[in-house]
Amino acid sequence: MSDKQQTPSEPQGFIRRFLAAPPDTVGKTLFVAISLCLVASMIVSAAAVALRPLQEVNALKDKQINILQVAGIYDPNEDVVEAFQAFEPRILDLATGTFTTEFDPATFDDRAAAEDPATSAALTDDPAGIGRQGKFVTVYLLRDDAGEIDKVILPLHGYGLWSTLYGFIALEENGNDIFGLQFYEHAETPGLGAEVDNPRWKALWAGKKLADESGELQISVTKAVPAAGPEYHIDALAGATLTTAGVHNLVRFWLGETGYKLFLDNLKAGKV
Amino acid sequence: MAHKRRDMLVDPLVDNNPITLQVLGICSALAVTSSLQVAFVMSIAVTLVTAFSSMFISMIRNQIPGSIRIIVQMVIIASLVILVDQMLKAYAFEISKTLSVFVGLIITNCIVMGRAEAFAMKNPPLDSFIDGIGNGLGYGLILMMVGVIRELFGSGSLFGVTILETVNNGGWYVPNGLLLLPPSAFFIIGLIIWAFRSWKTDQVEEREYKIQSVEGH
Amino acid sequence: MGLRNFFDRIEPHFVKGGKWEQYFPIYEMVESFLYTPKTVTTAAPHARSYIDMKRIMTYVVLATIPCILMALYNTGYQTNLAIADFGASGWRAAIIEGLGIGFNAANPIANMLHGLLYFLPIYIVTLVAGGIFEVIFATVRKHEVNEGFLVSSMLYALIVPATTPLWQVALGIIFGVVIGKEVFGGTGKNFLNPALTGRAFLYFAYPAAMSGDSVWVPVDGFTGATALAVSASDGFQELAARGVTWWDSFLGFIPGSMGETSTLAALLGLAFLLATKIANYRMVVGCMAGMIGFSLLLNWIGSDSNPMFAMPWYWHLVVGGYAFGLVFMVTEPVSGAHTNMGRYIYGALIGFMVVMIRVINPAFPEGMMLAILFGNVFAPLIDYFVVQANIKRRAKRHV
Repeated sequence: MSDKQQTPSEPQGFIRRFLAAPPDTVGKTLFVAISLCLVASMIVSAAAVALRPLQEVNALKDKQINILQVAGIYDPNEDVVEAFQAFEPRILDLATGTFTTEFDPATFDDRAAAEDPATSAALTDDPAGIGRQGKFVTVYLLRDDAGEIDKVILPLHGYGLWSTLYGFIALEENGNDIFGLQFYEHAETPGLGAEVDNPRWKALWAGKKLADESGELQISVTKAVPAAGPEYHIDALAGATLTTAGVHNLVRFWLGETGYKLFLDNLKAGKV
Repeated sequence: MAHKRRDMLVDPLVDNNPITLQVLGICSALAVTSSLQVAFVMSIAVTLVTAFSSMFISMIRNQIPGSIRIIVQMVIIASLVILVDQMLKAYAFEISKTLSVFVGLIITNCIVMGRAEAFAMKNPPLDSFIDGIGNGLGYGLILMMVGVIRELFGSGSLFGVTILETVNNGGWYVPNGLLLLPPSAFFIIGLIIWAFRSWKTDQVEEREYKIQSVEGH
Repeated sequence: MGLRNFFDRIEPHFVKGGKWEQYFPIYEMVESFLYTPKTVTTAAPHARSYIDMKRIMTYVVLATIPCILMALYNTGYQTNLAIADFGASGWRAAIIEGLGIGFNAANPIANMLHGLLYFLPIYIVTLVAGGIFEVIFATVRKHEVNEGFLVSSMLYALIVPATTPLWQVALGIIFGVVIGKEVFGGTGKNFLNPALTGRAFLYFAYPAAMSGDSVWVPVDGFTGATALAVSASDGFQELAARGVTWWDSFLGFIPGSMGETSTLAALLGLAFLLATKIANYRMVVGCMAGMIGFSLLLNWIGSDSNPMFAMPWYWHLVVGGYAFGLVFMVTEPVSGAHTNMGRYIYGALIGFMVVMIRVINPAFPEGMMLAILFGNVFAPLIDYFVVQANIKRRAKRHV
């Protein structure tokens, strides 16, 4: 394809000859393509490998900060890893409401486990819109100086309007009083559904109760105050009917019979 | 020569702005401008990627076979974008979380490809580098302008610092929710283009048709 | 004819060469508002018609009169009903008490007056804010202030909730006038309906003031969902349980944006517009057919989780802004399709989209506004294909 393009005076040496050769020959095209791919892939993989430890630390830190925040003990000036030592991660078996040592909390991946058929089950009744629910979840216990449980941090997630909201709820040691709720991942409408992140709205959760004296789950996130009374009610987000309904459903799903009910009963009975 | 290089740097800011004149890179301009901080990081990332990809492509421009030149450009650009993405994840995790897929989408940003194909393939490395910086800054300038409007009136803050106390936080300002939605950037970019073309009338495109004047007063 | 003489005397100041030359549009606006425009087309071709822009726009404004009356009555009626339970406050209550009329929802005069006190401020702000921008553009661009603005402003005031803060009303109409119309060259070149553009701006910018349950009736503490919102959450059968009959909805005694609750008032307007041939019946037929066809299809498909699937077409007709939009916005000649075949398609597209958005989209209970804007955007494309098809057909005939 190229004899005409060749330069009249042939340069000396292999490399020089190669560089001077017209780029459009089959051989040179292949060579450029292969060598470029090699160089690029080496650089990219070198960067990926070299930076991975830092990235993993960041991702972990991010999650830990969220847990610290929901437990109300986050201090930006303090070292996150150190502050997080206060928490005791445990793997909870939802079917029995007790902890299991089958998995190591340090390596257990809740989301992967919720996808794995061996450790999860498909839901037929699925108000939270999550499809499959893991049989095991990582919960975090915060103990006071005397070693007694002060707070429990429970993960929860469910579908809002556009996205699955992932978050934590912090409960007092009696397993019924809410300390706080925080979502760390969602893609709801900015300014409306995304107001789940608004500190003023999150502050509404503190001090609310999950269940009434008879043990009936009463917590609700609705526009109107329910008959059970304001201590079981969080006001809906203005203009975000469907995100609010999603939060309502997911909170009731996870804290009711389908979620942490057994565990919370155990907690109340002092069996944890 | 020095004068020419200065032009390369300054021209893309207003006179030959990649967003307002060439109307390239709109997609990411919609997505990342609801907060200034994110827009700022995105501007830097695009500037670096454009500059370095142009430089590298220019360095090997005489060796790139015409038949695979677009692929070669893509490989270089993509590698740089992955580098930027990895760096952000390692050193600026919070920001990389908000930028999410949009860092990866720098690959598809027409400005980067456009400069590689239109400039770097024909010019020496240093010029290409400067041209890349200039175009990146032109892109960044518009991003920041859009970002200021969207963050200030959409969330009442600039760079996350509260300027207008919003009603939800107990203040007086009712934030404009439209500005938090990506389509609002369309309006703002449109208005900026309008302003630019009213100021620099030579940017106005010629009409494709002519309206005959039939009415008179 | 004193006024005519006055205009004739001051006109030289405004025409080219006069000392107020740049203010000609303002002069022209006032003059042509009061008198038949005397401008005539000077170049061929000429088509003779009794109709001109001014007459079209005046007729549309006339056609909205039933809706305006219903807007006044129903806004006052809903407010007075709620006041019975929640009490009255604010300057409007002070005026009404001062006049000694009271808040009796059974008293039509009390209702009309109370409604007027909500409608009038919104309408005045719309006229002033939008008007200022109309005049600015007219002056700079040297075109006339068009009577179309009277229509846009009236429609806009009728489709916002009574509780809309006045500064939002102003922002909305300014956005509608500038982005929906003037940037494209003014009346006649706008491909979007300016009133709806403004309304859509408010809907996305200040959703808390434009949707939900507490914005429709301007009484503190009162929440009343629109019939459409009730249908979306609990099914239209639930409406009966809440005391809303089909006839209530048809006549317009339900909460909603001020002017769009009454289907009857809108249909009266439609009859007038069709009789005067301002509105093109093809768009109306298309829009009805699209809405009825698609809602019947959804009725037939059915859904366990979404009660809106079961909503019959005659309910779609009377809730939300369907009827109002059909009569005053779908039929708007500038932003709609311009070919006869295109008008059917354009109408059907809107009818289809409104049901689609209402039933299937979870985020927006009301679909008419977005459906019409969607139709506006597609109208030129529809026309293009209709024209192309026609050209092809005729080319075949020729060979």
